[in-house]
Amino acid sequence: MTDFSLTAQHTEGDLALAHVAGELDIATAPRLRAQALALIEQGHRHLILDLGAVTFCDSSGFNALVGIFRCAKTVNGTLVLAAVPDRLERMLDLTGLSAVLPAHPTAAHALVAHTRSQDTTPA
Amino acid sequence: MPQAEHATGPAGTPGRRTLSAAEAARMDAVRRYDILDTPPDGAFDRVAAMAARLFKVPVASVTIVDEDRIWFKAAHGLEGVSEISREPGLCGSAILADETLVIPDTLTDPVAVNNGLVTGPMGVRFYAAAPIITGDGHRLGTVNILDTQPRLITKDDTATLADLAAIVLDEMEMRLAALNALRTEQERRIEQEEARQRADQDKNAIQAFASTLQRTLLPPALPVVPGLELACHYATASPQNVGGDFYDVFPLGGKRWAFFLGDVCGKGPEAAALTSLTRYTLRAAALIDPDPDVVLTSLNTALLLDPAIGTRFCTAVFGVLEPHEREGFTVTVATGGHPPAYHLRASGSVEAVQPKGGMLIGALAGAHFASLTIHLGPGEGLLLYTDGLTEARTLGGDMIGEEGLTRFLAARTGPVSAAEVIEDTVDLIDAMPHGAGDDVALLALSVPLADAADGLTATATAHSIAPAGETSESRP
Repeated sequence: MTDFSLTAQHTEGDLALAHVAGELDIATAPRLRAQALALIEQGHRHLILDLGAVTFCDSSGFNALVGIFRCAKTVNGTLVLAAVPDRLERMLDLTGLSAVLPAHPTAAHALVAHTRSQDTTPA
Repeated sequence: MPQAEHATGPAGTPGRRTLSAAEAARMDAVRRYDILDTPPDGAFDRVAAMAARLFKVPVASVTIVDEDRIWFKAAHGLEGVSEISREPGLCGSAILADETLVIPDTLTDPVAVNNGLVTGPMGVRFYAAAPIITGDGHRLGTVNILDTQPRLITKDDTATLADLAAIVLDEMEMRLAALNALRTEQERRIEQEEARQRADQDKNAIQAFASTLQRTLLPPALPVVPGLELACHYATASPQNVGGDFYDVFPLGGKRWAFFLGDVCGKGPEAAALTSLTRYTLRAAALIDPDPDVVLTSLNTALLLDPAIGTRFCTAVFGVLEPHEREGFTVTVATGGHPPAYHLRASGSVEAVQPKGGMLIGALAGAHFASLTIHLGPGEGLLLYTDGLTEARTLGGDMIGEEGLTRFLAARTGPVSAAEVIEDTVDLIDAMPHGAGDDVALLALSVPLADAADGLTATATAHSIAPAGETSESRP
């Protein structure tokens, strides 16, 4: 009924960049969660979610993001968001998650930031 | 040609109370066909009529030999006779052997000569009977022919009579098979009906259980708090799904009261269990240290430590009310990732009570919370809500949103009444094309104006619980 898609575009090593498009609601949130968790399970413990094409996000979508974040954390990974819709950004602020979930204006910014953080991380 | 053989079977003696094993087994077979005392049946009548015609005798019958009588399933030429006593000589003897019994002249037969049919008005002189033998060897009765004249019949004739008896047995077998099929079908229908009733009962029990559980997740009614008007509304998106929204108002001792409202992520029994844990933890934590910041920190720790909770978390607003020295209440509020409470004034001013930095509860270790203190004066109110309200969609498909809710609340002016705020907000939800679409919990607190408070003998408390999509009429 509601449109939703998750396309993993840039997947090398332990990093995955996934473009999320459509509506994040009670119908699609479980798919977002399942597909993102599958990427983490495949070894991409650092996940960048590009939300630029997300047209709608309610608390179900938000809950899915929290679930993904906590899953990444259990394998010492990270969840980074890019192009966060206004409403979701307010929810992240409201819940204090903006402090632990880095958000970047675009996926490119997020990739650059990730590369830098990898460079500074001791091998 | 077989001649009369009068073996004296044990059952052949009238008045015997105990049956031989063989006769008991034969009677079991008779009963199995369930044919005794059934109404006349065309198929059997035709066999009797055919026998009479074939052998050119005035009387032919199909009999079933019961324990103590000979019952006529079909009787051609014997109008009005349905049974006779089981005395030896004719049918009583015929069922004692597998062969067809032929008595060419009853007056010369030592046993038949004393039979009632022979000595009585019928004056039977000729008798021939083929036993009806079941597949397992039981002789149920006979197909027989009678005449008032002595006569002889050929070997072919006796074979024909035996064939007629076999036809009768076939008919009885078909009848039994149909009867059994019918019984099986009836049993199956009864079983299905019983299964359906059981399923209905189970379903009702489960629903009753769920709604009972759900009731335990809600305060039965808000308490009466002196100097404060309280009202609330609770609606689940579906009556079957126990909701994850919760609220409570309870005394802290002295003149202080605590209140909270929140939302557990997800739905169903697991969310309900978390709701329950959250409510009791908040109550218990507040009794140890009512500082809202500390209470939410305790809840965060409790949720993270409970392995049964899994990855679920919640959001909540928790507040403490203390009567202000002059008028109204001092309210200290902490939020944990929850939309802010709204401070409503008579002017129509709507102010979000939003302490900076309150995080989700039960999602992160070391989450921090912050609190804020306001003064709730006479004619002012506080509205707490769950996001089912702001996420309700308008006709255009947009959510009401915090902006929409703020605009709606700002349009209300005059002294704030908790009951009216709840009533109007429920009307707002009901005006949406699909209602809330999710669970909604609302809690409002207001301080009546001094003169209004004087007129009140008790503070008004309104409480409504209704499934979403239905107009809630239960407010007193």
